[in-house]
Amino acid sequence: MTDRATILIVDDDPDFTESLGSFLEARGHRVMRASNSDQGIELARTCRPQAIVMDVMMRERTEGFFAIQEIRRTPDLADVPVFAVSAIYTAEQDFNVTPDASWLAHDEFFRKPVNLDELARRIEARIADRREEEEARLT
Amino acid sequence: MNASRPETVVVIDDDRAIRLSCEKILARSGYEVVCFENGALGLEAVADRKPALVLVDLKMPGISGLDVIARVREIDPTAVVIVITGYASVESAVDAMKAGAYDFLPKPFSPDELRLVADRGLERRRLVLEARRGELERELLKRRFVTFVSHQLKSPLVAVHQYLEVLRRLGETEDVQAKREMWLDRCLERTRELTSIIEDWLTFASLEQSSLSRTRETVDVRIPIRKLVEGYEEIAAEQSVSLTTNLPANPCPVNGDPTCLTILFDNLIINAIRYNRPGGSVTVGAECRPGEVVVSVTDTGIGIPESYLSMLFDEFFRVGGRSEGPSGTGLGLPISRRIATEHGGVIDVHSVEGAGSTFTVRLPRHEVDTAPEDTGADTNREKASLS
Repeated sequence: MTDRATILIVDDDPDFTESLGSFLEARGHRVMRASNSDQGIELARTCRPQAIVMDVMMRERTEGFFAIQEIRRTPDLADVPVFAVSAIYTAEQDFNVTPDASWLAHDEFFRKPVNLDELARRIEARIADRREEEEARLT
Repeated sequence: MNASRPETVVVIDDDRAIRLSCEKILARSGYEVVCFENGALGLEAVADRKPALVLVDLKMPGISGLDVIARVREIDPTAVVIVITGYASVESAVDAMKAGAYDFLPKPFSPDELRLVADRGLERRRLVLEARRGELERELLKRRFVTFVSHQLKSPLVAVHQYLEVLRRLGETEDVQAKREMWLDRCLERTRELTSIIEDWLTFASLEQSSLSRTRETVDVRIPIRKLVEGYEEIAAEQSVSLTTNLPANPCPVNGDPTCLTILFDNLIINAIRYNRPGGSVTVGAECRPGEVVVSVTDTGIGIPESYLSMLFDEFFRVGGRSEGPSGTGLGLPISRRIATEHGGVIDVHSVEGAGSTFTVRLPRHEVDTAPEDTGADTNREKASLS
């Protein structure tokens, strides 16, 4: 088991947040849930999650993209790893944008249904990386 | 076409007499005509004014007629080019057609000849434009279909898949054991949702190919409406929505397929309940007017933004911003419209955002030709006094 972390899931499908949330909780993490992008941005600002899972298509629009941009504009959240997820058909390379690309600055894309182990592993790896970076800065 | 804005015709000819006569003749036909004495000026006007029709003289000083044709085609491929020339020969005609001219007008020509050629050219342009619009619409529909399939169909499947996966991985843990029943219920609920989406889609696909309504019989619309309203009373009560009917004492007969008409009214009533709010109301009314039967479903629900009204009956369209509300398939209203159309009727909506909507279906009234009963006689008398 890796270190406990706070993870925010933003998705308008309550069943998705419920199942993924329970899975992450079972791995020892604390999970916050939001059902739309406004709520998600608000929770991200107040709870400072170490990672965010963001659905792209909410309310029939690609609302998730706008939410990710908004999160990136918040200084404290600018480098939180974001995992975009979507059931919409798309070639994945469209989503694999390098972190410095400004307009679509999410970190990784997972197609729904997501491979739970893979997603959890990536989330935990990114959180561990950031912790190490921070410790290195402090010492 | 657009009656308020006449189509523009550009005439390019170095012969002043030709320019003047073209202008006079075509202006009388209702076109807006602008004339130029050489290719350079003419092309400038073509780029600037986007004319529907360009008349070009083949033999002019400066830019040749053939070059003008090619440039016009580049600027606007939908503009129709007609060549005027005094040297009508097979070769020059072939060259002009190759360069993209649509028709040929040999000098001298009569006013009728000019009008005929111009009208024919513009008719062709309208057809081309219509075909393009059709293509665009199909393209949009295809795109909407991809979005629809990805989002509407995959979402319930993803939800079920994800639950099952977690149950399989962590089924033995205490936390998940406690949630197991609830999750299984959710899985069932989502598969039901998926089934109903697919059923709607199949209904729609069969409507696409042939008409869904098979039979024609006299249907008194009050009967399916009463049945539907009765069936929905409980659901409406659960949502604290009052559901009432406003039906006349006399029959409202239409000639139709009872199953299809039931689907049509069902869609309107369930929508009115779904997109409502606690404390709101739904009124289902019917009216027998001379020549038509009018059914209306009025709700005091959330209403529909004006910008969405024109797309409301399109396939896969759902008013945005309602994800937290009930899930629909995006096909209920298109199916309803098709059924209404198949019955020779129309469906219409009037809505005020935030205040509610009224859907109105007008169907041709079925004139029963058997000996009128008492109530029928009343209606006939009433009709006679009205006419």
